[in-house]
Amino acid sequence: MSVKERDPLSGHETTGHEWNGITELNTRVPRAVWFFIAVTHIWALVYWVLMPAWPLVTTYTKGLLGYDDRERIKQQVLTADAEQAEWTRALATLPAEEIRQDAVLMARVEQTAPALYGDSCAACHGSDAAGGPGFPSLVDGAWLWGGDAGTIMETLRVGINAPHPESRWAQMLAFGETGILTRPQIRTVVDYVQSLSGLDTEAAPDRLAEGETIFAENCASCHGENAKGIQELGAPNLTDDFWIYGGDDASMFTTINLGRQGWMPAWEDRLTVAERMALTLYIQDLGAEQGE
Amino acid sequence: MFRTLLKPFTRFFEFHAKTHYRAERHSMALSVGIILAAGVGGFIEIAPLFTIDDTVEADPDMRLYTPLEQAGRDIYIREGCYACHSQMIRTLQDDVDRYGPYSLAVESKYDHPMLWGSKRTGPDLARVGEKYSDDWQVRHLVDPRALVPESVMPQYAFLLDTALETDSLPGRLAALRAVGVPYTDDQIGSAASDALGQALPDTERADGVLDRYGDETNVRIFDGRSDRLTEMDALVAYLQILGGLTDLPTKTQPARGEE
Amino acid sequence: MMNRLTTGERQAAMVLSGMVALAGFAMAIVGRGDPMGVHGWITLIFAGVLFFLVGNVLYGPEPTEDRSASYYDDPTKVGILLSLFWAVVGMGMGVWVAAQLAWPELRFDAAWSSFGRIRPVHTSGVIFGFGGNALIATSFHIMQRTSRARLAGHISPWFVLLGFNLFCIIAASGYLMGVTQSKEYAEPEWYADIWLVIVWVVYFVLYIRTLARRNEPHIYVANWYYLAFILVVAVLHIVNNLAVPASFGAAKSYSAFSGVQDAMTQWWYGHNAVAFFLTAGFLGMLYYFLPKRAERPIYSYRLSILSFWGIVFFYIWAGSHHLHYTAIPQWVQTLGMTFSVMLLVPSWASAGNALMTLNGAWHKVRDDATLRFMMVAAVFYGLSTFEGSFMAIRPVNSLSHYTDWTVGHVHAGAMGWVALITFGSIYAVVPVLWRKETMYSWKLVEWHFWLALAGTVIYVFAMWNSGITQGLMWRTYTESGSLAYSFTDTLVAMHPYYIARMIGGALFFAGAVIGAFNVVMTIRSAGHQAPQLDYPTGSEANEPAVPAAE
Ligand code: HEC
Ligand code: HEC
Ligand code: HEC
Ligand code: HEM
Ligand code: HEM
Ligand SMILES: [Ca+2]
Ligand SMILES: [Ca+2]
Ligand SMILES: [Cu+2]
Repeated sequence: MSVKERDPLSGHETTGHEWNGITELNTRVPRAVWFFIAVTHIWALVYWVLMPAWPLVTTYTKGLLGYDDRERIKQQVLTADAEQAEWTRALATLPAEEIRQDAVLMARVEQTAPALYGDSCAACHGSDAAGGPGFPSLVDGAWLWGGDAGTIMETLRVGINAPHPESRWAQMLAFGETGILTRPQIRTVVDYVQSLSGLDTEAAPDRLAEGETIFAENCASCHGENAKGIQELGAPNLTDDFWIYGGDDASMFTTINLGRQGWMPAWEDRLTVAERMALTLYIQDLGAEQGE
Repeated sequence: MFRTLLKPFTRFFEFHAKTHYRAERHSMALSVGIILAAGVGGFIEIAPLFTIDDTVEADPDMRLYTPLEQAGRDIYIREGCYACHSQMIRTLQDDVDRYGPYSLAVESKYDHPMLWGSKRTGPDLARVGEKYSDDWQVRHLVDPRALVPESVMPQYAFLLDTALETDSLPGRLAALRAVGVPYTDDQIGSAASDALGQALPDTERADGVLDRYGDETNVRIFDGRSDRLTEMDALVAYLQILGGLTDLPTKTQPARGEE
Repeated sequence: MMNRLTTGERQAAMVLSGMVALAGFAMAIVGRGDPMGVHGWITLIFAGVLFFLVGNVLYGPEPTEDRSASYYDDPTKVGILLSLFWAVVGMGMGVWVAAQLAWPELRFDAAWSSFGRIRPVHTSGVIFGFGGNALIATSFHIMQRTSRARLAGHISPWFVLLGFNLFCIIAASGYLMGVTQSKEYAEPEWYADIWLVIVWVVYFVLYIRTLARRNEPHIYVANWYYLAFILVVAVLHIVNNLAVPASFGAAKSYSAFSGVQDAMTQWWYGHNAVAFFLTAGFLGMLYYFLPKRAERPIYSYRLSILSFWGIVFFYIWAGSHHLHYTAIPQWVQTLGMTFSVMLLVPSWASAGNALMTLNGAWHKVRDDATLRFMMVAAVFYGLSTFEGSFMAIRPVNSLSHYTDWTVGHVHAGAMGWVALITFGSIYAVVPVLWRKETMYSWKLVEWHFWLALAGTVIYVFAMWNSGITQGLMWRTYTESGSLAYSFTDTLVAMHPYYIARMIGGALFFAGAVIGAFNVVMTIRSAGHQAPQLDYPTGSEANEPAVPAAE
C-alpha cells in the first residue's frame, strides 16, 4: 500500500491506491447528499405510515389514511355521474324533440358526442359518418331501419345482427350459393335492380322484364313490391342511389350470390342511455347538415 | 438538530466505509454482498403476491381460452401487437371513461404471460371484444388505413392466407396446464378439433366446443371464409373474447350513468 | 490472432465449437419446420465457421513470448468491433422503426417487416448487441488493467464474447420470424435463454478468476459495478425467463407465472435490466475511462461507496413503478414509488462524483471531444435518473405512462447516457488497443459528438412534447364532463413529433456510422506505433514502468 498523498488541486487526501494511473480522493460525502437522504427517507417513512405499503405474510399494512385506489375511482365515477346527473337524466328521459328545443342540453350534446363518436363509431361509419363499403352512411337519409330518434336509439341499444339477446336481425339471403337462383338469373336481376335507380340504362326490355319477375318472386317479400325497402325488416331501398356494398355489377352480384348480413354492434353495455341519445342527435344533425 | 438527527446515519456510514475498505479486497465477499443487497427487494415484492389472498379476486366462473383463442393469443404475441396496445385499464377516470371498467387481477389469471403492455401507440384492447364486428376486425387487420385513415397500425393481410397450424395445440394446452391453467385431459386431447370446430359453426365439431367450453363460447366463421381455418380466424377469435372471460368487473364496479 | 493460442487451446476451441455445432444440428433436426430449426442452422453455421477458422491454423506456430507478461486484448478488440457493428444495425433499425410510426407504409409487404417484429430488433440490437458487446469488451480491458493481471483463460473470453453474440443473432433473427416471449427486454425464447445462462456463468467465473489473480490489493470501483452487472443480470434473467416449452422442438413457451405475479416479475426484471445492464455496467465504464482521460483522481471514494450500495439496494425495489394504477396491489406501487425517489440520491451521487472528478480538467472537456462525450453522458445520466424518479411518482406516472414521455425518458438514458459513454469509451480505448497515437481523425470525433448531441436533444424534446400532449389529450374533459378528444385525434397530433423524432434519430445514426468509419480507419491507418501505455502485469512494484497516459 502506498503512502496517502494529497491532491494539489483540491487539497484532499487520496486513498493511497492507484489502478493503472487512476487514483481516488477520500473526500467526505458532501453535506447536501446527507440532506437529500434525510429528506427522501423521511418522506418515504411518512408515506409508508399513511398508505398501504409493507407486505406481511398474508396481508399488508393498510396505512393510517385507509386509502384505496379502487374506492377512490369508485367515488370519482359516482361524483362525476352526480355532477352530470341533471343533463344526463334529461337526455335519457326526454323525447328527442324536446331536447332539441333546449339550447343548454344541445350544448352538452355538442360537447359530448364528437369524441364519443370518434372512439366508438368512426371506425366503421367513418369520421364524417359517410360510411364505406359494408358500413352504411349515416348522413345520406337512406335508413335501413328508420331515421327517427326512437328507431336509432333502439338500433344503438341492441345492434343489428349483433350478439345481443334482442338484437335486430336482418339477412340478405345467399340466392346463388343456396341454389335458389342460377348465375344467369342473378345477372338478370342485377340488371333489373340497377335499372331501378338509373344505374343501368342499356339492358334490353325483355331482360328487364325477366328481372322484374325474378324480383317479384324472390325479393319483393323483403324489399317490397316497389323495391323501396321495408324498414321493419331492415331491408334497404334499392331504388335510390345509396349503396352499402356498392351498386356496380360485381358488388351486387356478390350481394345476391353470397348474401349479406352486416353486423352493427350493440352499445347497451358500453354506452349510457344519455350517451346514446347524444350520438343519435349528433348523427341526425350531421345528416341534416349534409342533406342540404 | 439536523446534525443530531443525521448522527446515526453518518456513524453507520463511517463504519460501513471502514468495513468496506477491508471487504473490497475480497471478490467473493463483494459478490455475496451484492447478491444479498439486491436480493431483498425482489423477494419482498414478489413472494407476498403469491401468499396474500386478496391479490387476485376469486371468480369461480372464470372462463378458459379455447384452443382457437389461445392460438390467436400466440399470434398476437408473435406479431408484437403488445408493443402498441395495452391490455390494462388503470384505476383512473379517463381510462375508465374511455375503455370501460378498470381491469381486475383475475382477468389475467390465466394469461401466461400477461400482456398488460407499456405503451399505447394504439388504444387499449382489454375490452375490445365484441366492440366491433368480425368483419371489421378482419378488414382492419388486412388494411387499417382503409377503415381508419389516420391509423399507423401495420397491415396484416397475410393472416388471411395463412392456414392455422393446429397440430401443436394439444402440446400448447398441456404446457399451459403445467403452469397452472386448469385444462382437462379431454380439452387437451380435442384441442385441434376444437380449434377447427369453433370456426365451423354448422358442424359436429362445433358442438364439441360448446360442450367443453360452455354455451357462451363464440362459435362463428371469424374470417368470413368457411373453406379454411386461417390465422385470421384465431386472432379475431382472440380479440373478440378480450374482456369477456369474466363479468366480475361490471358486477363489482358502479355502472356509469346510473347515479 | 490465433498465434496467441497454444495448440492445446486451439484443440479445446475446436472441441467446443464442434459441440456447439452439433447442438445446432440437433436443434435443426428436432425443430425442422419451425423457426427453432432455422436457429439450429444458424448455430451450426456460426459454430462451424469458428471450427474451421481454428482448424485451419491448428498446427500453426505456438506463441513464443511469455504471455502472462502482457494483457490479452484480442477479445476486447473483436468485442469493440462487434459493438460498433451492432450499433449500426440497431440504430439503423431504430430509424426505420421511427419512420414506420410517421409513415406506416414504409415497409415491405412481408410479415417480418411489421412494426411489432422490427421494434425488438432495435431494442435488443442496441441494448444487447451494442451495449452488451461494449460492456463485455470494456470489462475485459478494465479488469485486466485495474488488476494488473492477464485474463484468466484464453478460450473462455472468446466463449463469452462469441457465445453472447450468438445469443444476439438468435434473438434478432427470431424476432423477424415472430419468435418472442413478449417480455420486454427478455423476448428470446427458452433455448436462447438457456444458452445465455451458460454464457453468463462462464463470464462470471472468468471475471472472478481474473480478479483473484490481481496484483492490486484493492478492487477498483469500476469492477464493483461490473460485478454487480454480471451477478444481478444472471439472477434477473433466470427468474424472469422461467417458462415451460410447448414442445422441445418448437420456439414457443409459456411463462411460469401469470397475471399479477408475471407482471411484477417482468418489471422487476425490466427495471433492473435498466439498473444493472444499462446503468451499473456503464458506470463501470465511466469510472475507468473518465478519470483516465481527464487524468484526475476520482472526486470521492466515500461517495463511490455510498452510490454503489445505494444503487444496488434501492434499484431492485423500484420495478413496480411500471405498474402504477394497474391491477397490482397498491402496497407494491407504494414501495416502487418511494424507493424510486430514494434512489435518486445514489444516482445523483454517482453523476456528481463523475462531474466533480472533472474539476481541474474542464479545459480538456472543452478541447477533447472524447472526454466531452463522457461528460455529457454523466449529465444525461443525472437528467434521466431525475426524470425517472419524477415519473415514478404516481400522479406524474398517471400522465406519462403509456405515452411517448416514457420513450423520451428511455432515450435520454439510452442515447444520452448509455450510447454517449460507450462512444466516449470506445474513442478512448481504440488507440490504446491498436497501439496508435490517436484516432484516425479527431475532426470526425467532433462531428460525431455534435451529431449525437443534436440527435439526442431533438429526439428527447420531440418525445416530451408528443408524450405530454398525448397524455393531456387523453385526460381532457369538456365542460360537460365528457372526454374531449377521441383516440384518433391524438394520432393526428402525434404525427409532426414522429417526423421530428425520426430526424433526430437519423442524425444520431449518422454519428454512429461516422464513428464506426473512424474506428476502422484508425485500425487500418499505419500511423505511428505508440508504445504500450499500461502498467505491466505481474509486477509487484508500485512504480509504473512507463508513465500512465492514454
Ligand atoms: C363494427 C362496425 C360498426 C360500428 C363500430 C358501428 N356501426 Fe353502426 N352499423 C354498422 C353496420 C354494418 C350497420 C348496418 C347493418 C346492416 O347492414 O344491416 C350499421 C348500422 C347503423 C345504424 C342504422 C342505420 C340505418 O340505416 O338504420 C345506425 C343508426 C348506426 N349504425 C349508428 C352507429 C353509431 C352511432 C355507432 C357508434 C356508437 C355505430 N353505428 C358503430 C357497423 C358499425
Ligand atoms: C330475407 C329478406 C331478403 C330477401 C328475400 C332479399 N333481400 Fe336483399 N337485402 C335484405 C337485407 C336485410 C339487406 C341488407 C343487408 C345488410 O346490410 O346487411 C339486403 C341488401 C340487398 C342489397 C344491397 C343493398 C346495398 O345498399 O348495397 C341488394 C342489392 C339486394 N338486397 C338485392 C336483393 C335482391 C335482388 C333480392 C332477390 C333476389 C333480394 N335482395 C332478396 C333482405 C332481403
Ligand atoms: C404501430 C403500432 C401498432 C401495432 C403494431 C398494432 N396496432 Fe392495432 N392499432 C394501432 C393504432 C394507432 C390504432 C388506432 C387506429 C386504428 O383503429 O387503426 C389501432 C387499433 C387497433 C384496434 C381497434 C381498437 C379500438 O378500440 O378501436 C384493434 C382491435 C387492433 N388495433 C388490434 C391489433 C392487433 C391484433 C395487432 C397485431 C396483430 C395490432 N393491433 C398491432 C397501432 C398498432
Ligand atoms: C438512432 C437512434 C435511435 C432511434 C431512431 C430510436 C428509435 C426508437 C423507436 C422509434 C422506438 C419505439 C418507440 C415506440 O414504440 O413508440 C424505440 C424504442 C426503444 N429504444 Fe430506441 N432509438 C434509437 C437509439 C436507441 C439507443 C441507442 C438505445 C439504447 C441503448 C435505444 C433503446 C430503446 C429502448 C429500450 C426502447 C423501448 C422503449 C420502451 O419500450 O418504452 N434506442 N427506439
Ligand atoms: C433513478 C433512476 C430511474 C428511475 C427511477 C426510472 C424510472 C422510470 C419510470 C417511472 C419509467 C416509466 C414506467 C412506465 O410508466 O411505464 C421508466 C421507464 C424506462 N426507463 Fe427509467 N428510470 C431511471 C433511470 C433510467 C435510465 C438511466 C435508463 C436508461 C438507460 C432508463 C431506461 C428506461 C427504460 C428502457 C424504460 C422503458 C421501460 C418500458 O419498456 O416500458 N431509466 N423508468
Ligand atoms: Ca415498453
Ligand atoms: Ca426470454
Ligand atoms: Cu423502471
